[in-house]
Amino acid sequence: MIVLRLVLLVALQAFILGEVAPFGNWSEPQWALWALLMVPPQLGPFLKLLAGFGMGVALDMALGTYGHHMVAGTVLGGALPTLHGLSAPRDGYEVTSQPVIKDLGVSWVFGVTFSSALLYHLTLMVVDTWHAHLLGQAIGPTLTSACWTTFCCMLLHLLVISPGRNVHRS
Amino acid sequence: MRNLWLLLQRNAFFLAFAFLMALSLMVLIQNDGSARSSWFRATGGVVSVVGNQQQQWTNYLQLSDQNAALADENAQLRSRILSMELSGAWREDSTNGWQVKTGWLVKGPDGRPRTMALGTPGSDEDIRIGTGVLATGTAFGTVVDIGDHHARILPLLNTAGTWSCRLGKNGAVAPLSWDGVDPNKLTLKDVPRYVKWTAGDTVYTSGFDLKFPEGISVGTVIEEVPEPGSEFKTIHVAPMLDLKSVRHIEFVQNASDSVRSALSQPIPAP
Repeated sequence: MIVLRLVLLVALQAFILGEVAPFGNWSEPQWALWALLMVPPQLGPFLKLLAGFGMGVALDMALGTYGHHMVAGTVLGGALPTLHGLSAPRDGYEVTSQPVIKDLGVSWVFGVTFSSALLYHLTLMVVDTWHAHLLGQAIGPTLTSACWTTFCCMLLHLLVISPGRNVHRS
Repeated sequence: MRNLWLLLQRNAFFLAFAFLMALSLMVLIQNDGSARSSWFRATGGVVSVVGNQQQQWTNYLQLSDQNAALADENAQLRSRILSMELSGAWREDSTNGWQVKTGWLVKGPDGRPRTMALGTPGSDEDIRIGTGVLATGTAFGTVVDIGDHHARILPLLNTAGTWSCRLGKNGAVAPLSWDGVDPNKLTLKDVPRYVKWTAGDTVYTSGFDLKFPEGISVGTVIEEVPEPGSEFKTIHVAPMLDLKSVRHIEFVQNASDSVRSALSQPIPAP
């Protein structure tokens, strides 16, 4: 299910939603991130790392940006276990917990989504610009794009998995 | 080994992350010109700093070896200078009939095997064939042909000449020649095997060829050429001075040269 979601989101971003950027480079959402964020938090760190790397490879192949999304995806995949650990409930995650609003609440979903999006876009910004003197003017679009990605992911949460709906266990 | 395995297991996630990051960066650098240039600029700077540091350390560590080599060279040079000072330059000894006339070289030896030297004056100053020629008090050659104002000189640096020399003041007498290869290496041949020598010993003229007075320094011993099974040995000799850069020369001749030459001829068979 995780793989299917990743493939679908990558295809969606690459072939349909890739050009949808209402404010130019100030709003370039990464739709595929949602698939990675749907990885259950109680899964092992290696799977999260591999999922991040795999998403990056798929995005790079689909978009022709060889290496950019691989780096960002690997960074996010490597940081995801720590993010999940930091935002874990006091008693830890239940075995059946899914990263959705119904199971873990809006604040958890929003916090993890925004942190992940910010980290992903910041890493993308670094590998896209490379030169330190260009980072200053790239930080603004990066922050707004991270906000857009968070908005899109939350929208997907609401559209695909509404809070009152049972989630298919992966 | 077990501890290493445990360490790897404990850091497996970090190692996997580092591996995937390295893989991603490699793909990025290979496909992105901007990233590649930044990467090479950054790594070039680091490599340069590391290389300089390594060079400094290498130089520092080699100092002792260089110091030892310099000390050896210094010792050899001191030994050679001492040897030259002890041997000294030959001085005119009129009591034995030797006279000196100063002159200078018009053309000197150039290191090729058959080159002759040309000096002045010639017969106008009573220079004769067979006269010995010195340069700064050491043997240089002998006059083989004479003109009114010039003299053709066969120098030590010519493969056609052979010079009677003595190893040390009172050592064995042997012929000295040049093989035409290295201007800094003359060859003392047919030295009896029993003769002892040490590097830096001075080689003098024996005076037996009637061209030079005895005791004029020619060079210093460098090394022995091994000749297994022979009753004689060959010794390499370094000339006292650079024979190719000689400018001023001295002609030495004996007042009774003609008598000595006549008496030294073999007695005709009856």
